[in-house]
Amino acid sequence: MLIALTLGLGSVPIWGSEYAMLFFMLFCIYLALAQMWNLLAGYSGLISLGQQSFVGLGGYTVAVLSSYYGINIWIGVVLGGLASVLLALFMSLFIFRMKGVYFAIGTWIFAEALLVWFSNWAYVKYGSGLFIKPSNDLSMVTIYYAAFVVGAGSVALVYILLRSRLGLGLMAMRDDDQVSETLGVEVFRSKLYCFLISAFVTGVTAGIFYVFQIFIQPYKAFAIDWTVKLVFMVIIGGIGTIEGPILGALIYVVLSQFLAEYFSVSMLILGGIAIVVILIAPKGIMGTLQEKLGFEVLSPRRF
Amino acid sequence: MEGLIQDIVNGLLLGGLYAIVAIGLSTIFGIVRLVNLAHGDLMILAAYLSLFMVTSLGISPLLTMFAIIPVMFAVGYVLQRFLLNRVLGKEMEPPLLVAFGVSIIVQNFMLMAFTPDARSLMSELSLMTFPLGPDLSIPVLYLIDFCIALAVIIGLHYFLQNTYMGRGIRAASDDPYAAKLMGINTQNTYAVAMGLAIMTAGVAGVLVGMTFTFYPHSGPQYLIIAFGVVVIGGLGSMKGTFVGGLILALAQILGARFFGPGYQLLCGYVVLLIVLAVRPQGILGRG
Repeated sequence: MLIALTLGLGSVPIWGSEYAMLFFMLFCIYLALAQMWNLLAGYSGLISLGQQSFVGLGGYTVAVLSSYYGINIWIGVVLGGLASVLLALFMSLFIFRMKGVYFAIGTWIFAEALLVWFSNWAYVKYGSGLFIKPSNDLSMVTIYYAAFVVGAGSVALVYILLRSRLGLGLMAMRDDDQVSETLGVEVFRSKLYCFLISAFVTGVTAGIFYVFQIFIQPYKAFAIDWTVKLVFMVIIGGIGTIEGPILGALIYVVLSQFLAEYFSVSMLILGGIAIVVILIAPKGIMGTLQEKLGFEVLSPRRF
Repeated sequence: MEGLIQDIVNGLLLGGLYAIVAIGLSTIFGIVRLVNLAHGDLMILAAYLSLFMVTSLGISPLLTMFAIIPVMFAVGYVLQRFLLNRVLGKEMEPPLLVAFGVSIIVQNFMLMAFTPDARSLMSELSLMTFPLGPDLSIPVLYLIDFCIALAVIIGLHYFLQNTYMGRGIRAASDDPYAAKLMGINTQNTYAVAMGLAIMTAGVAGVLVGMTFTFYPHSGPQYLIIAFGVVVIGGLGSMKGTFVGGLILALAQILGARFFGPGYQLLCGYVVLLIVLAVRPQGILGRG
């Protein structure tokens, strides 16, 4: 089933219309971003409200490198990911001293600070934003495949990570910080790795998104809206499951397409569903299904 | 040096406003261990409610507080009693995420109900100043903000220290289990505490609306200010909240003075991150 899904998604440009391609491209992009938030919140116990820092930085790196210096756009995308890793390393100096809620708000404050900084920075044309001119030459199919790679790649990456030693440690840590530390799990280092990995993938995915958008502005790129969407997707789909973000991203993209002209309405609905899910089924749709039916497509369990 | 003293005076008065923005967040964190991410949005909601009354009844924004206070108390009470109480437990994440959901719902509701345009609660007080010297004058509105903030914070402190309900709230916060054994309805006390917190948010919202322009999306900005004040001042200390407000406001105003108005917010954030990294328990915090 999984292989069929992947093949189906990978061949959209062959069988799908222009609109289907747009739809599934957005799906892949949100899937990758949501999967990364899930890696942090669902598996490492790090609730980040600052994913938009990496979205903005990834996007701006591509914009600056390709429009100012004529660097190949895909190299720019990867460098955007690396820039996000560097930012995450710098952020970790501050926020890894904070726990739980402090961590959440600390990441958010970082993102807000970046927003203010970029909108006052002459080099990136203040708040008026930048065009990524070279991406005019790219075809939609190329961008689609790039999105497909990060979308499918993010699922594979989380799957492999969780089945590795790191993942085992992470899940032990999520269940009990102190006990797992005494048993030899390097809590600090594992969390840091996850934070850096999620920064990288988020930065690269955002780069691809802005290559598609062509235009980037600090008020959009560093907006908390990004994280709001990711939180809703993961919670509704099922936090701490690999399948959850897939379902969550699909629900979000469908809803946002139907209510494209009423963004507020779609956020109201999503917020309402998310609260109901936390109240009655805290594990989300996939988590609850797994519990009831014992059915798991992508199980990180080894035994 | 011209105007430096004026800036410092403005910064100190603004600090009082920041303190009342933060006091509700700090109180509820101290009592229920919940970071109410909807705090800023509920504040802005109060500002819109006040605006609605001002335009339909033609009264002064200050008078609308008499209606805002009970309404916001009820909002807070209902929010805690019927929503947040259900997710309180060992884990901090579910209440945080529910509050986040409430925040987004309130924000988008305001966006639909009141349009994205900038609003403000204008009154005859807006432009009045109180001259103190050739180069120094006190904006009357800032002074009113400061005095009301101080009064509310002292009042809240008195309530929590000296009334029966206040003692019940503190007892439920220290040890919910023991408090229950002593016959305290913890569910109800938590709800009253949230009601009080949102009531202060309502007062803060009206003051902010009178002092600055606001949008449906202004909530998070004030949430971050509130959080900054709490972090700088240390949790659970009313004095700390007041000092935190003064420090954050001064940092912002002086930052705007030395680096340009665009950097006002950035300077506040930088001070905040430094405090968080160096002294996570806050400047006046214990432990």
